[in-house]
Amino acid sequence: MNRFLDWLDDRSGIRGIVKEALYEKVPGGARWRYVWGSCLTFAFFTQVVTGTLLWMSYSPSAQTAWESVYFIQYEVWGGWFLRGVHHYMAQAMIVLLVLHLMQVMIDGAYKAPRELNFWFGIALLGVTLALSLTGYLLPWDQKGFWATAVATNLIAEVPLIGPILQKIVVGGVEYGHQTITRFFALHAGILPAALIGLVVAHIYLFRKHGIHVKEPRPKKDSYFWPDQILKDGVACLAVMLAVIILTLYFKGAPLGPPADPSNEFPARPEWYFLFLFQLLKYVPAFWGAVIIPLVLGLLILIQPFLGASRKGHQFNIGFWWCLLAGAAGLTFLAFSEDRANTNHGAAVKEAEWQASRVVQIAQEDGIPPAGAVTLLRNDHENRGRRIFAAHCASCHRYNGHDGRGYSVEEDPSAPELAGFASQDWLTKLLNYDHYTSIEYFGGTAFKDGTMAKKVLKKYNKEEQKLLPQVAILLSDQAELPYQESLTDEKRESLMDIFYDDLACIDCHDIDSEGEGSAPDLTGYGSKKWMTDFIINPEHERFYGKKNDRMPAYGRDNKLSPEEIEIVVDWIRLRPAVK
Amino acid sequence: MTKEASTEKQSSETTKKCCSEDSRRRFIVVSTITVSAACGLFPLASGITTILDPVKKSTGDQEKVPWTKVAPLGNLPEDGKPAKFEVILEQVKDAWTTYKNVPVGAVYLTRDGDVVTAFNLKCPHLGCAVDYRSKSNDYFCPCHNSTFGLDGSVTDVDSPSPRGLDTMDTKVEAGVVWIRFQQFRPNISDKVPLS
Repeated sequence: MNRFLDWLDDRSGIRGIVKEALYEKVPGGARWRYVWGSCLTFAFFTQVVTGTLLWMSYSPSAQTAWESVYFIQYEVWGGWFLRGVHHYMAQAMIVLLVLHLMQVMIDGAYKAPRELNFWFGIALLGVTLALSLTGYLLPWDQKGFWATAVATNLIAEVPLIGPILQKIVVGGVEYGHQTITRFFALHAGILPAALIGLVVAHIYLFRKHGIHVKEPRPKKDSYFWPDQILKDGVACLAVMLAVIILTLYFKGAPLGPPADPSNEFPARPEWYFLFLFQLLKYVPAFWGAVIIPLVLGLLILIQPFLGASRKGHQFNIGFWWCLLAGAAGLTFLAFSEDRANTNHGAAVKEAEWQASRVVQIAQEDGIPPAGAVTLLRNDHENRGRRIFAAHCASCHRYNGHDGRGYSVEEDPSAPELAGFASQDWLTKLLNYDHYTSIEYFGGTAFKDGTMAKKVLKKYNKEEQKLLPQVAILLSDQAELPYQESLTDEKRESLMDIFYDDLACIDCHDIDSEGEGSAPDLTGYGSKKWMTDFIINPEHERFYGKKNDRMPAYGRDNKLSPEEIEIVVDWIRLRPAVK
Repeated sequence: MTKEASTEKQSSETTKKCCSEDSRRRFIVVSTITVSAACGLFPLASGITTILDPVKKSTGDQEKVPWTKVAPLGNLPEDGKPAKFEVILEQVKDAWTTYKNVPVGAVYLTRDGDVVTAFNLKCPHLGCAVDYRSKSNDYFCPCHNSTFGLDGSVTDVDSPSPRGLDTMDTKVEAGVVWIRFQQFRPNISDKVPLS
């Protein structure tokens, strides 16, 4: 072994290099406060290795980016863990950067003769933030897509060259293949190369000037090896453990629904950019994207000179504390505003639903060459709730919301449709109090109609007891997928109630010829009945002239036959949430 | 206490101190190396499984090879001469993309009454596409000149191909030829399916 090392040393001088690297003097002894630089190097090293591993399964294009990340997350052995480590280490890096920066500021390690190294450090901060920004577009999910749309629109605020710059970064006007390939080249090529160059310069200058130590020295001088390295190593281990815990706790990094410009999304950047996001609510984009960063940036660059005096140094430290406090305050505001906004909560839930839905379909049917976004666009479950939200939810509700989970400000003006035609739904309908409540016909003209005032209100106690039986009979007509059908005998006996005991037949037809004055209940709630009803509720079979504002969606071409079928299937699919 | 005794005691104290100093230092060095190694290996360890994924997924389960429709039996020459057909699989999954009705290769089919033999088009030597030569009524690989008889066997003792053309399972149902299309490891004398 020694002979080999001698041979190698003769030809490379490796012993000298290692000695120089390890036996760097640490004036005042090893200290915990010096660990941040090493932690950052460790974090970056982790990002390079895990990033390269991800690269082996990642495909940058609009039809394959989300798909290959899905593949890594759900199909590749241990892929979810690898993604999680890359994702959370990126966030740890931001935290470590702030700690490193604050340690340098507080200890005064940014002052002469270390100005140049301070500037390199600030440049490293910028490059790291750029890496984060370019990184979260790459999965091409809704979050990356919409957050990047905002970020790249801010580029356009740069005077004169802004719009051109934006086009160059985006690779055109629309977001697509070229956006991903460009961001990927930045994220995996240009920015890491820049970072490596800057880190080399940063470490070289750090070694040249040595560790800045506050006098009086706390302990006697020691060396980098092994005392400081042990402290550094333990700190890196702590970072590593934190990242592993986060990865395990959140089961890897999140993957939203595939990017879709036609599918709205509550765009929010990652938490470390939230302060900027919040700032843009208060100041014009030009100020937020250009003026404020420029002024702060210039101020930061002259800080080594300001720090020459005692007062200046105190100002610098105060400045950074204020900046951090400001960012923390804005971040807190952003979080609390979102938490107070129920529609934002619903939008987040909707996106989570879409994400889990598209994964479910992809696992069952595979992803076609046109990409995963088509899976959601063609999915009847997804389309059903969207059609309901767009066309039905202005009057009806579904479990109290608009079909997708969003609350609607106005009161409903037509019946709740979750569990429509089920036994529970009909039992409630046939109760006068419910019938005239806002949940059923309280918001319509039928509240004061014949059924309410002259029928339901007039039933005596004995007759009221029979109403749930009628609900069972009617619900059987709907042939709902989640309800068992009645036996013929049971049906016959219930029919007697319908005909004789309660005489519903006087107005409503059921399995009979002739024209009743009220809606025909033959096949009530079935796919055909609902489809015909939605096509034209003004048809004589249904409300005729008594129809109260329900549009004739089919007759007036407000919905295509396919859309009507989808929304009918969707309403009939499952019972109401209790 | 005599002077001698006191010197002795002092020296033993020094030894103790030096040894505890030594063991302390050894402890620090060992911990430092351990901790550094853990940090150094962590990034690769956190994702090494993703590289090994294709090896893990090779199941070797021959039952899973699907039957695929190739051609009507009537399209095969009755005199036993081979005819070439494309093999189109209903569904092919390539990592994250699932394709429908994709051509995945080709076969030569020959018939003897109702019994059909299928040869994979790929030469078992190094995977070039084999031609059928009607003049000499044999198969010929244009890359390295392997020749095969109509029954798929190697005809030339100097043939670079270590085995005859690869056959696959076939069946005829309602006048249609079905096969279980497979690829095999090239350049070994045994026929081993790739999976």
